[in-house]
Amino acid sequence: MPVGSTLVHPADIQPGGSRKAGPMPDALETSLTAAPVNGVGGSVESRPTAPHEAAESPVFRHSRIHRLADRWAHLAFLACSLLVVGLIGGILFFLASRGLAAFWPVAGNTGRALHLSEVFLSADWAPSSDRFGILPFIAGSLGVTGLALLIAAPAGILTGVFIAKMAPAWMRNLMRQVMDLLVGIPSVVYGIFGLTVVLPLVSRTWLADAPASGFAVSALILAVMIVPTIVSLSTDAFESLPSSLDEGAQALGSSRWQAIWHVLIPAARPRLLTAAVLGLGRAIGEAMAVQMVIGNNPQWIALMRESTDRAPFLRALFTPAATLTTELVQELPNTAAGSTWNNVLFAMGLLLYLLTMVLILATRRLGRGKEA
Amino acid sequence: MQIRFLAQTILAGLLVAGAAQAQTVTVMGSTALGPIVKKAAEDYMKAHPGVQIAVSGGGSMTGLNQVTSGGCHIGISDVFATPDQEKAGVKNHNIVVQPFTLIAHPGVGVKNLTAQQAEQIFTGKIGNWQEVGGKNQKIVRVIRPESSGTRAVQKKTILHDQDFSKDVLIQDSTGAVVTAVATTPGTVSFVELEHLEKNKTRVAGIAYNGVACSNDAVKAGKYPVFSFGHAYTNPTKLGDPKVKQAVESFLAYILSHEFQQNVLKAGYLPVDYVKSLKTKL
Repeated sequence: MPVGSTLVHPADIQPGGSRKAGPMPDALETSLTAAPVNGVGGSVESRPTAPHEAAESPVFRHSRIHRLADRWAHLAFLACSLLVVGLIGGILFFLASRGLAAFWPVAGNTGRALHLSEVFLSADWAPSSDRFGILPFIAGSLGVTGLALLIAAPAGILTGVFIAKMAPAWMRNLMRQVMDLLVGIPSVVYGIFGLTVVLPLVSRTWLADAPASGFAVSALILAVMIVPTIVSLSTDAFESLPSSLDEGAQALGSSRWQAIWHVLIPAARPRLLTAAVLGLGRAIGEAMAVQMVIGNNPQWIALMRESTDRAPFLRALFTPAATLTTELVQELPNTAAGSTWNNVLFAMGLLLYLLTMVLILATRRLGRGKEA
Repeated sequence: MQIRFLAQTILAGLLVAGAAQAQTVTVMGSTALGPIVKKAAEDYMKAHPGVQIAVSGGGSMTGLNQVTSGGCHIGISDVFATPDQEKAGVKNHNIVVQPFTLIAHPGVGVKNLTAQQAEQIFTGKIGNWQEVGGKNQKIVRVIRPESSGTRAVQKKTILHDQDFSKDVLIQDSTGAVVTAVATTPGTVSFVELEHLEKNKTRVAGIAYNGVACSNDAVKAGKYPVFSFGHAYTNPTKLGDPKVKQAVESFLAYILSHEFQQNVLKAGYLPVDYVKSLKTKL
């Protein structure tokens, strides 16, 4: 997972010793730096002189063995990276071929081909009655992730400011470690917690025993899941700012709050946005935790339309709804391959893949904005 | 010493080669039916040393898909084959009977629903427990996803093929359904009888038309809500006559009186309990 790897701080690793341990990292580093030299590009000139010198100097013979090892290492690295690229491309190809089959008559299809409009512009999902509108799932995914970010981003960024600029050293270390631990908790644990603790609690406390499944609790659970990601990344963002910014602002007479609000946050903005988008990426792809608490009702838009409630927005928060991921998790294993229903589910998977891609590209674009 | 070792190795090698030549029957599909079919496979292999039966999971639809395409010899499933799969030559064998029951949160104050009440609760015409003699509380319908076999049974037997209400909570598995019903006041749902028996302290069973679900009630023909566990074969894909013979003989063993006594322990009923009943399922 890319999120996890970005959260390990070099500063945390070095005292632990894993960086210094043994000759392995050194060997890797030399092979990495030496590889391009010994590769196709630079080898033409150096090769003819090599045997001659090797006879004279034992040091060079040693390095020749190294070079051979380097060449192999180079190939191994190349093979691994090609494998990863190939896998990602293969998954995209597979999703696209099965998903697009929903809209074109393809060999292997057992059902009819659909129009784009009856899938993407319809809110009526009843596959066994031949109706395939996926709008409820798109709206559900965007709604629940948007709400989660609305809760998690301010909380995470303010915690980041606190850890980086205000907390005493012992607390800073503690908080960092706790956040890194929290990132690793499996989502199904959050789901169980939501299902068995949060839902009954909310239902009893605020809803007079009516079921609490819906956007509100799902977004809350998702927010708790992504806050550690956002905290870790925004702490990094604030720590990487030169202290002169903070000191300068205070020297000019600004209060602490003013320095944070007018100087630090704007200066760290690109990296804070990156943090938020990464959190969003984790939230939009989450299936298990959401599935357990959201209520999974694909007809939620129709239900909302029929309701005569005076506060439709508030009601929507506690109406069982569904998202792209929850619907995929529930239906995909039980639909026949090649059926229209199955194809539409693959199209939803493709959509989810593309959404995540867009988010990752956005993250990189924002990250680049930091240097510029 | 070494010669003996050599002889042993050769003997072991021959045994392995012999085993590889045995007939292998592959079974895939429903995880719910898996344990009982596995038990049948073990007993059958003991009696027929020349036959290997490999049972794996994957889900009802996987079993059906695989048996249709020839990926396995027997597909076990809780659901019916689609018309396309039937056209492809898939053949159904009912192997067990699965009784279903209505359940509710213990606090709703209702012990029995008539067929009409049950139908109207799930289609949405009845929305409060008061309308069926319970306390004044909104009815929360917990059902399974659209592709689930349980939901298909419920739609056919309880709703008589009408659409479910739009105001529903959907849970992915029977376990999640039971948890939701146990923790949410006002809930009503529909599960296999064995899940009610395992969770008697957490959820309340509801009688249907005055008859509480039980094995005996189904056997006596008084309780109409049940379905079959299916084993599908695709005779057109069973090329090897030896494999075909093994598959047929294994299915015959599952349906034999001798083995059917075992299914009671696994929460199912023997097929011959309902042989005499006329049923739509």
